[in-house]
Amino acid sequence: MELEHAPELELARLARTGDESAFAEIVRRYGPRVFRTAGRFFRRREQVEEAAQEVFLKAFTQLDTFEGRGSFEGWLTRIATNTCLNLMRSARRRPELSASDLSEDEGAWLEQNLAGAAVERQQSEERGLVAADLTERVLGTLTPDDRLVLMMMDGEEASVKEVAEATGWTESNVKVKAMRARRRMREAVEKLLSRGAKMGE
Amino acid sequence: MRDEHIKRLLDEAPLASLGKSELAAARAHAEGCAECRRTFEAAQVSSLMLRTRADETFEPSPFFQTRVLAALRERRAAEEGWTFARLWKSAGLLVSSMAATTAALAVLTFVAPQEQVSAQEVASTPYTAEALLFDEAEAEGGQMTYEQVLTTLYESEDEEAR
Repeated sequence: MELEHAPELELARLARTGDESAFAEIVRRYGPRVFRTAGRFFRRREQVEEAAQEVFLKAFTQLDTFEGRGSFEGWLTRIATNTCLNLMRSARRRPELSASDLSEDEGAWLEQNLAGAAVERQQSEERGLVAADLTERVLGTLTPDDRLVLMMMDGEEASVKEVAEATGWTESNVKVKAMRARRRMREAVEKLLSRGAKMGE
Repeated sequence: MRDEHIKRLLDEAPLASLGKSELAAARAHAEGCAECRRTFEAAQVSSLMLRTRADETFEPSPFFQTRVLAALRERRAAEEGWTFARLWKSAGLLVSSMAATTAALAVLTFVAPQEQVSAQEVASTPYTAEALLFDEAEAEGGQMTYEQVLTTLYESEDEEAR
């Protein structure tokens, strides 16, 4: 049987026996999914790639735990999410962010959006980059759990159930975490907006 | 809405998921409530930020698969090396303990017998049966061997018989 068309259970079984080509097929097939998960946590390409590699290496050592009851993709996503959460927790850097730390572009972006001129998702590539940079800095002040839940639910419009499946948290836990995370993010942004407004006066 | 403000509503669900009527009510409340206006603006900006960030996605490079496989081989080799090192260490411990046991046996075999009291010396020990019976040797703090006890007893019997 060609590995490209092999069912996931068979691929997992072969990889478990040490078949490198089966594992290579797993990396090829699920790489985009793992990159997407790692991309929620990290923004620099090399960090995303490093995290994704760690996810696959961990998955390889844990292949025995995949029993085939759920999908392989779901199993791998959970490993990816928890690996990235742990990588981010071990970094332990959550610097405060104030309006004085903003670049000129970031300040201008905030001002424009505050004025309601461009509260649209479609933005120029350049402005999109500024927004993503600023978002990353704001998210950097939050905990990894807050970041994950916000990125998934508010950014990607994932459901409570999907977040619960990806993390292993209960649905009620996801709801509580999401409420707190939204409030913290809003407060961080509010602080930037109020300081920005004071600076503008 | 005017009394409850809109913070709870904004906490409970993503802004983008609010229905038209909920959004209109929140906006109307924010217009008349200075406290909630900033909150609503911050929620709008937060929502836009998160959706913009979520649009950024990464795809694996063509070399990613090769990189992971190389890392896997490296890690396995390191683990095997580590296992070998552990085995080697255990074997070393085993060999050294065996050497220590052999040395101890050699010492016991070749050195210890010279320290043992010879039968001749035992026989010439000037103990009497009385001394033994009244435990004089013990009182003096001396220690007697089994052979010394037997020799002393039988010698006194022989003398009596003669």
